[in-house]
Amino acid sequence: MRHLLIIFLALAFTSVFAHADKHVNLGDRATELKDEGKSRDIHPSLAEIRKMHPEFLLHKRDKTLRQGVRTQRDSLKECVNCHSSTKNDEYVPINAPDQFCSTCHQKVGTSLDCFSCHRTTPKEGL
Amino acid sequence: MNKELNRRDFLKNTTAVTAGVATIASGITLTTFAANDNPVTNEKRWGMLVDTNKLTESNINDMVNACQEENGWGSEIHSTGHQKPSWIKKIKVKDKVTGKIDMLPMMCQHCEHPPCVDVCPTNASMKREDGIVLVDKHLCIGCRYCMMACPYDARSFVHEDLSNQKEHMPRGKGTVESCTMCVHRVDKGEMPACAEAVSSNGVIFGDLYDANSKINQTLKKIQSTQIRTDLNLNTGVRYSGI
Ligand code: SF4
Ligand code: SF4
Repeated sequence: MRHLLIIFLALAFTSVFAHADKHVNLGDRATELKDEGKSRDIHPSLAEIRKMHPEFLLHKRDKTLRQGVRTQRDSLKECVNCHSSTKNDEYVPINAPDQFCSTCHQKVGTSLDCFSCHRTTPKEGL
Repeated sequence: MNKELNRRDFLKNTTAVTAGVATIASGITLTTFAANDNPVTNEKRWGMLVDTNKLTESNINDMVNACQEENGWGSEIHSTGHQKPSWIKKIKVKDKVTGKIDMLPMMCQHCEHPPCVDVCPTNASMKREDGIVLVDKHLCIGCRYCMMACPYDARSFVHEDLSNQKEHMPRGKGTVESCTMCVHRVDKGEMPACAEAVSSNGVIFGDLYDANSKINQTLKKIQSTQIRTDLNLNTGVRYSGI
């Protein structure tokens, strides 16, 4: 019984870490940047961006909307620009199932409402 | 640069172009990239002067089209009649005594004392320091009090699901919207799309407080008026020729 438990735990951990190491669908631009080794310039710590991105976005949204501070850092537009993928030469909406945002949010059962207002693909046209 | 980060410092630091890393109590590192964009201040007040004598009906149509094109409204398919958003519209005013007819573009007047902000229960309806009145759609609950309160019928409610919005202009079902004075362009130093669409001096956009600005100087010289001056809202949009 204990052996089974250990095996089970070992399997559970490997799958957790496997999941933690790579994202199923990183998006086109983000994959390029990762391959060029530049992703740490943008997100110095993976744990941080995973845990804190809602706070970053919230802080940024108030500064932009209410104070007119428009910077690229923590801007939802830039998230969409890097983390969108293309299929048949067209962008897939980032909130579609299996796209960058949805993979985790589905897994943890978070339903979020950014994209009933915000554009789901990078700027008009490819 | 290592330092304790608090909100005040964070806001203060935005003047310098620096990247800082701060460690907060739980051991999480917060990376802050302060940018050289400063918060807008009340040293400026953006406004517009519309000269109806210089605007033809087709100029006004151009303004409406430019706004639709820029901000992505007007192609709603399920909304009918008054449900359709309209951020700027062409209206006809007639002097009953003389019979003189004027056409004018009507949009949010960016009031200094905006009734839409007074009535909003969630603080969604707001005025920026530089006088631009906006809806924070993150907070808007769609109660539409502001639509009732606005004397200029300047606001619209989005009745249907939308997609393919403009990148710079998020819009969505269940929230109220209105002319933003093209705030995304103004912040880049450009002028609103409607003003740009008119090549004559029919629409002058600028800083009402800046004594050297064209709008300030023109307002000093010519006869102009606010619509519904009696309400004492001190609008940012002024008209002449009516
Ligand atoms: S015109 Fe209407 S929507 Fe615009 S600031 Fe005044 S009350 Fe608010
Ligand atoms: S509709 Fe939205 S912006 Fe208007 S009063 Fe209600 S919450 Fe405020």
